[in-house]
Amino acid sequence: MISRNTRDLISVAFGGLLARKVRTILLLMGPVIGVAAIVAAVGLTDSAKGDLKAKVAQLGTNLIEAKAASSFGSQNPTLPKDAVRRAEQVETVEKVASVVQLTDIIVSPYPQAKAKYETTPIPVVGTDTRLPYVLEVPLTSGRWISKADNDNAVRAVVIGSGLSNELGYLPGESRTIDLGGKPYGVIGVLGKVELDPSLDNAAFISFASADADFVKEDILPTKLYVRSSDGTEQVTSDALRVAIALGGPKEVATEIKAEALELAAQSDRQLQLIVASMGLLAIIVGGIGIANVMSISVIQRSTEIGIRRALGHTRRTIAQQFLLEAMVVGFIGGILGVMLGAFAILVGVWLSGWTFVLQTWIPPAGVLLAMVVSIVAGLYPARRAAKLEPLETLRLG
Amino acid sequence: MTEVSSDPREPFLELTDVSRVYGDEVKVFALREVSLRIMPGDFMAIVGPSGSGKSTMLGLLGCLDLPTTGSIKIAGEEITTLDDASRTRLRGRTIGFVFQQFHLIAHLSALGNVETALLYRGLKPAERREKAMDALERVGLGPRHDHRPVQLSGGEQQRVAIARSLVTDPIIVLADEPTGALDSSNAENVMQIFESLRSNERAVVLVTHDQGVAGRADRKVSMRDGEIVADEYKVLS
Repeated sequence: MISRNTRDLISVAFGGLLARKVRTILLLMGPVIGVAAIVAAVGLTDSAKGDLKAKVAQLGTNLIEAKAASSFGSQNPTLPKDAVRRAEQVETVEKVASVVQLTDIIVSPYPQAKAKYETTPIPVVGTDTRLPYVLEVPLTSGRWISKADNDNAVRAVVIGSGLSNELGYLPGESRTIDLGGKPYGVIGVLGKVELDPSLDNAAFISFASADADFVKEDILPTKLYVRSSDGTEQVTSDALRVAIALGGPKEVATEIKAEALELAAQSDRQLQLIVASMGLLAIIVGGIGIANVMSISVIQRSTEIGIRRALGHTRRTIAQQFLLEAMVVGFIGGILGVMLGAFAILVGVWLSGWTFVLQTWIPPAGVLLAMVVSIVAGLYPARRAAKLEPLETLRLG
Repeated sequence: MTEVSSDPREPFLELTDVSRVYGDEVKVFALREVSLRIMPGDFMAIVGPSGSGKSTMLGLLGCLDLPTTGSIKIAGEEITTLDDASRTRLRGRTIGFVFQQFHLIAHLSALGNVETALLYRGLKPAERREKAMDALERVGLGPRHDHRPVQLSGGEQQRVAIARSLVTDPIIVLADEPTGALDSSNAENVMQIFESLRSNERAVVLVTHDQGVAGRADRKVSMRDGEIVADEYKVLS
């Protein structure tokens, strides 16, 4: 329940603002633009992330990567030969694929292009037959490496979607590429691996081919891709480190791929911070504008203030009147700013096909921020207004 | 001529040995040990040439200024010891102002201007509006209550100002050269309104240098060089 005097104050403040519409619009600009910028910055990055979250949910959060690590700094750490079997021992593991990252193999579309691809090497991955099944990524064309390919060490290669684009590979095309001087026939293209984009530019061959053509010693996997049952990724990840390394000198590092993806999205936060800071700056500059315009307004309205004082309005009431005007500017500016910011997010979402995300605390926080800045900005003019002496402003006698 | 100070009633406003001095190093006495009693029913004029101390007197009578020395009582209450807020509220309760330049608030209607005097008094809006309408009707501006000052003539604006000064039902109406900015017919109209305000519940004080205006008053206080040089009642014929 507001008192009658407070209601009087509100009507006087609104009356003052409505009487000078252009000035009021100018006062509103600062809070509107500032709040809109902050809301848009936070909302747009959240919406981009919201899209990512939806994507991760769709891809599954249960893909775990377990790779060989070495605390002794040896050049090419490997996993034990029976790493897949060891991983399968973990109860919550559903499926496992193993790969070996091969080094020093120059891949080029044809032998003459070797020089170029020496400087931008294409990773070659030796793999088993289960990789697409574990990654849950289908092939966009052709087929994956089969057991027969492996058994016979057929020189067959599957290329990642990015590499396919780079090489200009057409679906179904019969193409031979050069892997370390050996001709390999392209048999398929793997779809985009959202959870591990590094695979998109790789060339995949069978373990047996890798062994036959490129590796002199025993071929050992360097990395496992593991799917755990849903919700157990953390415990599975911990268990895998122990299970794979058990009883040997080898060390294993694990990574839950969905988490890594979310972590990568965190870099957007810096952009968010920059844009939000600029919005904050806009609000502060807007606040300075409010202080400025209102100070001038106090001078222009000195007669009005003198009249009010003569009529029995106290200094306190005069100060409250101006503070309330500032507060109303902040409140309305804040609301308009939130609306403008939300509109900007909608446009952004519409342009990029993200999911609209605006956390519920942001609109009230934006309005509150605008009000606080406006009230602080209104303090000085309000003080000045209250200090005016009616005798000086009314020119008596 | 009648002796004023012998009146047994309590004065509405009483100045006792009031001086108002400006400046620190070089002291200028705008008022020098002035005493004055404004009684219920007074219809008085304070006259004097410019520099006589009229304006200073007006500021002190209107409770807008404080004396350097001396005592001022309004309705028996000493104002020199009150804090600013209490003095402001006392002013709002007891004194109605009419200014030479009307001093209406430009963005408010006639009604809004009159209502401004009734703000922060705990009145319901409807109540406030009704009182303000009554005051406007009293000065003949009821039908023009929604006009803004720029839409009103000088005489009408001054009548709005008079309505504003009356709406709080003050014991003293203090007018500063109320006809100074008006042509003669509007001035006459305004003077007639002032004359109609004579009442034992109220005192009307006109501060003016216009002898014609002063001549309409029942009591004339003449000032020169910061002192009251004459205080006379009109001899009733």
